[in-house]
Amino acid sequence: MAKLRVGMIGAGGVSHAHAPHWVALGADVSVYALVGADELAARYGLTTVGTLEQLLLTTDVIDICTPTVTHRELALAAIGAGKNVLCEKPLGRTVEDAKVIAAAAHAANVQVYPAHVVRFFPEYAALHAAVEQGEIGQLAVLRFTRGGEGATSDWFFDDAQSGGIILDQMIHDLDQARWIAGEVVQVYAVQNPPTVNGSIPRNVVVHVTLTHLNRAISLIQGIWGPRGMDFRTSFEVAGDAGALRFDSSAAGTIVENLCTAEAGTSYLPPASTEESPYLTQLREIAKAFQGGPAPRVCLDDGIIAVALAEAAQESIATGSAIEFDASAVLESKESAL
Amino acid sequence: MTGAESASIKVAVLSFAHGHAVGYVRYLKSRGDVEVIACDPDGVRSPDAGPRGLELASQLGVGYLDSVEEALAWGPDAVVVCSENIKHRELVEQAAAAGAQILCEKPLATTAADAAAMLDAVERAGVALMVAYPVRFSPSFEDLKAQVRAGRLGDVLAVLGTNNGKIPLSDRRWFTDPALSGGGCFVDHIVHCADLLDSLLEQSATSVRAVSNRILHAESGVEVETGGLVTITYPSGVIATIDCSWSHPMSAPNWGGVTLEVVGTKGSIKISPFASHVDGYGADGAIWLPYGPDLDAAMIDEFLDGVREGRNPQPDGYVGLRTAALMNAAQRSALTGQPVAL
Repeated sequence: MAKLRVGMIGAGGVSHAHAPHWVALGADVSVYALVGADELAARYGLTTVGTLEQLLLTTDVIDICTPTVTHRELALAAIGAGKNVLCEKPLGRTVEDAKVIAAAAHAANVQVYPAHVVRFFPEYAALHAAVEQGEIGQLAVLRFTRGGEGATSDWFFDDAQSGGIILDQMIHDLDQARWIAGEVVQVYAVQNPPTVNGSIPRNVVVHVTLTHLNRAISLIQGIWGPRGMDFRTSFEVAGDAGALRFDSSAAGTIVENLCTAEAGTSYLPPASTEESPYLTQLREIAKAFQGGPAPRVCLDDGIIAVALAEAAQESIATGSAIEFDASAVLESKESAL
Repeated sequence: MTGAESASIKVAVLSFAHGHAVGYVRYLKSRGDVEVIACDPDGVRSPDAGPRGLELASQLGVGYLDSVEEALAWGPDAVVVCSENIKHRELVEQAAAAGAQILCEKPLATTAADAAAMLDAVERAGVALMVAYPVRFSPSFEDLKAQVRAGRLGDVLAVLGTNNGKIPLSDRRWFTDPALSGGGCFVDHIVHCADLLDSLLEQSATSVRAVSNRILHAESGVEVETGGLVTITYPSGVIATIDCSWSHPMSAPNWGGVTLEVVGTKGSIKISPFASHVDGYGADGAIWLPYGPDLDAAMIDEFLDGVREGRNPQPDGYVGLRTAALMNAAQRSALTGQPVAL
């Protein structure tokens, strides 16, 4: 590809899953961050810049890797400068934020994509392709689980900043369930322990049940577990002609039994021996930025994923199942600005 | 308990409608201290592909009587009720009136009202009522319970249970006839996990919310739900979801299974009591060789020990009632999609 000038904003956890892959794709990467920019730049060979304005002046596309609550302001700044944007999920802290970003992108005629990276994990992509090809017939019951040691930065546990486990972590499988089984018409969720005064518990489990337009039903379990809990994802998807399943804990091409290995895991998934899904994601989206085909995720996907998360939160707050209408969510997006 | 030192126990198996009856009869016979007879009056008229009635009794090598009345007149110490779900109540009430101790196939009843009436009947008659929940007896569940009790999981936060199997279609048609079964996979598959939750958490549910559909096996004209997800909340805050779908593909080499994953503040434990197997491939495709302890045997041992020792064998009719009530709540919730308070 032509030398792409990427401006990363933020140098926290997920920036480490983006920076090396931008470099691998041959991009020229600059980073602006309130903290950690020098360290990130030194580690991956990036350039640091001192202000957001400077970043916008010297790059072609913006990659937002900051805490959720800042996405709206930063995306609007990038869009205002005419940049194409990749925004870490969730697209916005609220549906309103996500819609404002979308409206601005539309008005400025720039591309903005939410980084729903699980769509690029090969096991989920394989599931999606097989379902699309009708391999297991009409879908009936889906289960997705995701869990491990909880996030480490404090802002994740402040509902106002992160939206908690549902918006930050379970949004992956909310998006997956919708990607695989289609639009959702009803959402029910339970959480233990509850969020009190906007403070998300450090260890928390949420179960979300979705009813899809095609009558399929999905269960999503999200876990922020105690320190040291292995990160694990799984799915089981049953249709009227068969079933497909995956469990990351039994899927490795390398099994280690090293007596010198230190226990412990990181918040992000362990490195795979296959191509990183983060690299696959960046390549596909970079191509779209450069006039290539539309990627497998679009801006509306990002809005609807946030809306599903909000419906789950409303269900927990009210104790009721919440009716959901994706087209109604998108209806007013052009006037959101 | 060994057969050699104990007097023989007379056990009548009432109905072969539930396929589990075959395993129960085989084990009862194998103990050597049990006299077994069976009756299956409705078997002859059933549309089932598999053998029923006298034919099945002959294959199993047990004495056969034509009616429930004759079976009870034979004077059994105990009965095992394996009829269609809807007939459990009448058979349990008849057996109680005859003074027999009772092991009833799950679900105890299709309604909590029937279950409560059955408990009244056995209490009036002074006989024991046990519900056939064999998964309770799996070593992995006992281990899980012990670890939870010992605090190794910290505070329990959530449980995810699955009981997914093949749909019982041709061998036993009544499972998908609501007039005989009381419902579909909700009735067949919620109660196993519900029983494990009851035993593990020792709390009664506060709310139940369920969704279901009829997408799986729609082509065979099934009139009952074939897929379902049931979410339960408990007074301690614990949340639990059960996937009770008949979603195991008919092309699979095994029947399905049960799993229970418990998440606590110190980690998680997942059990798969039916996972032990050797797998491979033969000329006709996948091979699945299950192994592991005989849970039916452990369950029947507990029943007969209880009968001999004059105590209520566990799991008893009260957990049968609680799990039936939970299953009924799931049925009600699925009608509206909204949670039901218990």
